Amino acid sequence: MYAYNQFDQTLVDQRVEQYRDQTRRYLAGKIPEDEFRILRLMNGLYIQRHAPMLRVAVPYGLMKSEQLRTLAQISRTYDKGYGHFTTRQNMQFNWPTLESVPDILADLAKVQMHAIQTSGACIRNTTTDPFAGATADEIEDTRPWCEIIRQWSTLHPEFAYLPRKFKIAVSGSDSDRAASQVHDIGLHLYRNDAGQMGFEVIVGGGLGRTPVIGKTVRKFLEPQELLSYLDAVLRVYNLNGRRDNKYKARIKILVNAVGIEAFTKMVEEEWQFTKGKDLRLPQAEIERVKGFFKAPDYLSVEHAQSSLETEFIAHPAFATWHKQNTRDHKQPGYRIVVVSLKNQLQAPGDISHQQMDGIAALADEFSFGELRSTHDQNLVLADIAQRDLFNLWLKLTDLGMGRANIGTLTDMINCPGLDFCSLANAETLILSRQINETFDDMNYQYDLGEIQLKISGCINACGHHHVGHIGILGVEKGGKQVYQFTLGGSASNDASLGKTLGRSIDQDQVVVVIGQILDVYVQQRETDETFLQTVQRIGFAPFKERVYGTHQRSAA
Amino acid sequence: MALIKDQQLSLNHVATPDIRFADWLDDDLIKGESVLTNGADDLTCLLANANKLDMIAIEFETFADGRGFSMARLLRREGYQGEIRAVGDVAMDRIEFMHRVGFNAFELRDDQNVNEALTKLSEMSVHFQPSADGKGPAYMA
Repeated sequence: MYAYNQFDQTLVDQRVEQYRDQTRRYLAGKIPEDEFRILRLMNGLYIQRHAPMLRVAVPYGLMKSEQLRTLAQISRTYDKGYGHFTTRQNMQFNWPTLESVPDILADLAKVQMHAIQTSGACIRNTTTDPFAGATADEIEDTRPWCEIIRQWSTLHPEFAYLPRKFKIAVSGSDSDRAASQVHDIGLHLYRNDAGQMGFEVIVGGGLGRTPVIGKTVRKFLEPQELLSYLDAVLRVYNLNGRRDNKYKARIKILVNAVGIEAFTKMVEEEWQFTKGKDLRLPQAEIERVKGFFKAPDYLSVEHAQSSLETEFIAHPAFATWHKQNTRDHKQPGYRIVVVSLKNQLQAPGDISHQQMDGIAALADEFSFGELRSTHDQNLVLADIAQRDLFNLWLKLTDLGMGRANIGTLTDMINCPGLDFCSLANAETLILSRQINETFDDMNYQYDLGEIQLKISGCINACGHHHVGHIGILGVEKGGKQVYQFTLGGSASNDASLGKTLGRSIDQDQVVVVIGQILDVYVQQRETDETFLQTVQRIGFAPFKERVYGTHQRSAA
Repeated sequence: MALIKDQQLSLNHVATPDIRFADWLDDDLIKGESVLTNGADDLTCLLANANKLDMIAIEFETFADGRGFSMARLLRREGYQGEIRAVGDVAMDRIEFMHRVGFNAFELRDDQNVNEALTKLSEMSVHFQPSADGKGPAYMA
């Protein structure tokens, strides 16, 4: 992975001191509240319902074991012994004090980490496929490009006060695991008919109050002009995005307001000024960054592989885990392992300091010292030799991270909701608890196949409910917490927004309704048809009929 | 209101104009080479007329309004060599970014300590992207 040189290290060190001074002056009453709020957001510090919350950047989800161990240590020293992985691959600490944050940032800087621009109206963490560099369906490794974007966007002087936050995601595989079509900018690395590698640039996707699938602004962008093009898009947005209403301030609103043709024209005109100049990436720089992402020292296939038949037979649970939680690797003899942070005991995405240390050790032992976070709040150990899978599974199980539920109903995305977040209207964690209690039969879950359940506690949609196969949105109506269901959303190549099923559902009926929806699927599915495919084929009527036809206690 | 210009405390400078660019453009009777502008003005028009102006003051009505940053950047890109002055909600924690995009004068908010502000102009010595100040990106160093 990328290793800091003197410039990178100097930048984060100076940034820590800069923020330390801002904190000092704020506490001395020299910086007004509103102003400090913007300054601290640019260093990832929110004030939440109970306590400040610090969001640490995990650039494109990639970490080395030393960094995870530092996060564990920070959670012990400054927090309550755990952290939380978010839908943008970052990690959050829910309980630091405002005064301690400069020290936390200093600790992070020692291991080449930071919290720069993880909040605020600026360019946020660039995210990508957690399988990048390892996946069998890879077109090109997105990570060097993510690193190039990260550097360009870090402390960018012109784009630090945008109309609103700005999120970029990059996909470089056949299958889009980065939800790129619901980002402000989605970039698709691909090879065109002439055999050249380049980016399709998609702009104006997003969730929240007004969910939108992004639109193509440029079908093919030469990679050397990546930054000059992004620069043009950001400048058009900075100058023309709405600033009168924070709910209408994202770039998706601008694209919709002027239309994609007019918007494209604005960007392409601006790009004429920036392309071919000092933002054109020298080939030497591209090669330098790519050099940090070379394949690790894989064992030869003879040494890496193992048929695992004996282990599968002796340990059926291992066989199940292998089937559910591992994915095809491009290197013969290797597998990608998805580590489930969705056990029944913790909130989805939460990880204790013991688990952090445990995973760090497993990364060292089995995965070349690296790991990734995913946007659906799990972790990935990307480079596991087949011969190591059984031992890894045993150790993951000991850590409480061996649940074989990746891609199933209980592998849900869940925002922290009313328990933590001051923006939330409803509790969400209680739902994940109830879902885990009610649907505890894993064989039933396996039979259901792939189901992406996504839960948000308010309309800001941090839980990505719009793009869930089943989406649940918590709202507040007349003092009560009730939940709206959507069906048929997807964040993948077939990106689509879910549609509302019907009237809101009471909190204690949510698991009943989920059960009803799943019943309809089981009854109506054709052979090998996934949940999403069945929804697309049969439409909403059978589900509405089932849920509202027999439903006794729906909210008004 | 203290003014920092060309990286030092300025004692002798033209006052911030109260002639707005839109008025300057429309009214032939309004003469002068200094105008006050902000994100609401027609930027294309401003860029076309910049060569007639010695000083352009860009107003930040709120801390969060970032349009002025792009305006300054484009003025410099267009070749404007006059003074670009930041006025309004201008505090020491932002002047470094402002400086990078082409502002060379800063009319600080009343509560700002000028000497402390001067130290903030170059708090960061590493720059990851090129800008109007000709510095960066770090990989070209």
